[in-house]
Amino acid sequence: MKPEKLFAEHESFILGTGFILVLIAVWESIPLWYTLPRGMALFFTTPSKIAVAFSQLLLDGTIEKHFWVSAIAFLAGLGLSIVVGLPLGLIMGRSSTLEDLLDPYITAANATPRIVFLPLLILWFGIGIWSKILIVFAGAVFPLLINTYVGVKNVNRVLVNVVRSFGANEWQLMKIVVLPNSVPYIIAGLRLAIGRAILGVVVGEFFGSSQGLGYMIASAATNYKVDVVFVGVAIFMALSVILTLAVKHLESRLVSWRPETAKTF
Amino acid sequence: MAPFIQAEHLTLCFRSKNREPVTALNDLNLSVAKGEFVSIVGPSGCGKSTFLNIVLGLIRHDSGTLQLNGTPITGPSQERAMVFQEFGLLPWRTVVANVELGLELKGTPSSERVKRAAELIKLVGLNGFESHYPHELSGGMKQRVGLARALATEPQVLLMDEPFAALDAQTRDLMQTELLQIWERTKKTVLFVTHSIEEAAYLSDRVIVMTARPGRAKDVLQINLPRPRDYEMRLTPEFNEIKLRIWEVLKEELGPRG
Amino acid sequence: MNAKAFLAEHRRFWLGLCSVLVFVSVWEIILTYIFPVNPFFFTKPSLIAVAFKEQVLGAKLWHDLAVSSQAFIWGFSFAVIIGIPVGLVMGWRRRVEYSLDPFLTALYASPLVALAPLFIIVFGVGVLGKAALVFLLAVFPFVFNTFAGVKSTDSLLINVIRSFGGGEKDLYLKVILPSTIPYIIAGARLAIGRGLVGIIVGEFYAASEGIGFAISQAGDTYRLPDMFVGIIILSFIAVVLTEFMRKLELTVAPWRASDEVR
Repeated sequence: MKPEKLFAEHESFILGTGFILVLIAVWESIPLWYTLPRGMALFFTTPSKIAVAFSQLLLDGTIEKHFWVSAIAFLAGLGLSIVVGLPLGLIMGRSSTLEDLLDPYITAANATPRIVFLPLLILWFGIGIWSKILIVFAGAVFPLLINTYVGVKNVNRVLVNVVRSFGANEWQLMKIVVLPNSVPYIIAGLRLAIGRAILGVVVGEFFGSSQGLGYMIASAATNYKVDVVFVGVAIFMALSVILTLAVKHLESRLVSWRPETAKTF
Repeated sequence: MAPFIQAEHLTLCFRSKNREPVTALNDLNLSVAKGEFVSIVGPSGCGKSTFLNIVLGLIRHDSGTLQLNGTPITGPSQERAMVFQEFGLLPWRTVVANVELGLELKGTPSSERVKRAAELIKLVGLNGFESHYPHELSGGMKQRVGLARALATEPQVLLMDEPFAALDAQTRDLMQTELLQIWERTKKTVLFVTHSIEEAAYLSDRVIVMTARPGRAKDVLQINLPRPRDYEMRLTPEFNEIKLRIWEVLKEELGPRG
Repeated sequence: MNAKAFLAEHRRFWLGLCSVLVFVSVWEIILTYIFPVNPFFFTKPSLIAVAFKEQVLGAKLWHDLAVSSQAFIWGFSFAVIIGIPVGLVMGWRRRVEYSLDPFLTALYASPLVALAPLFIIVFGVGVLGKAALVFLLAVFPFVFNTFAGVKSTDSLLINVIRSFGGGEKDLYLKVILPSTIPYIIAGARLAIGRGLVGIIVGEFYAASEGIGFAISQAGDTYRLPDMFVGIIILSFIAVVLTEFMRKLELTVAPWRASDEVR
């Protein structure tokens, strides 16, 4: 009885991890049952080779060096987007005039892939940290800005009236009602912003840098070192998953009363 | 009169993964005659909605027998139709398309569906709203669509699961009277679940009071008010007496709060 | 309708329009009369307008757009064809959901663009490489939105169909599919954005034609007005597509009070 019961209780975990393990095993075994044509063999690698490359690069410090370069650009860009996006979003949420004035720019910039501005940034700031930070900023600021002002706009009118009736001024209103109500939206925006920020780091380093994990990937690709490419991709994947889970955890902790309208896609 | 719906020793136990099994119904016996309007009242959680779903055929009972006109009930079929508390209208369909749903599933040809739907929309008083969508209708109107849809397939039994609970008091009163008028015209057998003693007394021929969980039929009261009934009857001392009688039976089941 | 009422109703539009007009005018005035223009680093609206006219009348712009569109449409179509069924199966069969969910969620959360150099090198710099990249980026919103749509189907409606004796097929055709369509459209909107990133990155990295390439080449040769023209045109296309999707969402599902987070 026990093994079946155990399986049933943890079914989702077992199937989920099982699937991933099976995929890795199949990938690893491909050279054993399928000989690749000459051309393809150049681009092929296996999980074990990737693991080997990973430990080598880790030991000789390459990963550490590139990681910190990327991390600085990521944090600086994300930090800048929070510092700019949050206050602006709060003000825009309370002032519909400001919102209407800025709306065309925000709609256009949000719909356009921000990557498109990279050549311009490189032209102005050269190949270096600033063009990276700015492209990260450009990607991350919009989800934060938009979610913040949607959150502010959606504040419950009744609550605002209640607090106003006690004679609160605009600043107190913000603190007591508007801000707490917007928290779930802001956190959701933060989650989206982190994804965009990582994207910005990756693409910024492909084209506008000579250091960083993205650069490592791009130069490895040019030199046909496919295993190194996957090492880089895997690191980014792991970082994304960890950060996204961390924010989701934060979301559920902070927001047990979450309003239904804060969508997560 | 031979019973039309007959439940004998009906038992149902809910088993869920991480919890203790819950006995919803235990040895429930009741019968309903053809053309009768029977209400079921009982404390929250007593299993009255569960029973209705068993009659509908969406849930299978564990033991006991449940028969409609002598044949056991084993699944949903168009002889029994339900009107749901939350309406259950398809939001992307117009009123007409919603009313036709049952007929569509039965395979009725289009021309006949259209005719039948038109009749029913007229019966429930929704002329002129055929092309409206549910989100454009008020609660009372939505429930009329629900009623029209249930009647469209000409079921023998109409099951109503607290159909007016989501409506405001005035609309509710209105709908009750209209339901009685429609019932007089169509002569269906009705099983009506409600929390409201007043509603049960006003609408029914008989009121069955259920015990708290696990549910069984505690008592059956005959409502001897003349038909057709009208609103003023609710203001008479006879009506109050009936309500009191039902209340006397029900309050023992209501626990410390009662 | 008198002037005041008309302005009030379309307030958002007028304020936005004024804002843009003021911005463009101020830009032009500052760079013409206040700061001298260093053509290698700055440009102004009048120069951009000239370049715009030249490009629209010429042939290169249209050719570039055609090339980029071709790759985008191929990649996007495959994303639809594969993504939606996968999402449906995940929503339908719990075991499939359990197996695929962790893997696909990890992929969705990752910057798959990081694979761009690899894709280009394996598939080459033509339509195939770009389309493959677009597919990789655009397929996930379709999978997850379709999946969410299926799972969010109101169980009351399922009971309604069952109570009338409807079978599995009726369930799918009459309730689950219609219920899922608004989600799929929202997914399409997200997929468009992600797909465009794929095209641009692919063309920046290694291409000899296409709108992304045109922009990066204009940057390399310090032709700022041409670069701005490319950016503006791409932005315009992106906005039109995204707003079209939003309108579609509203028409298809007016019963959903969708106040969303963009």
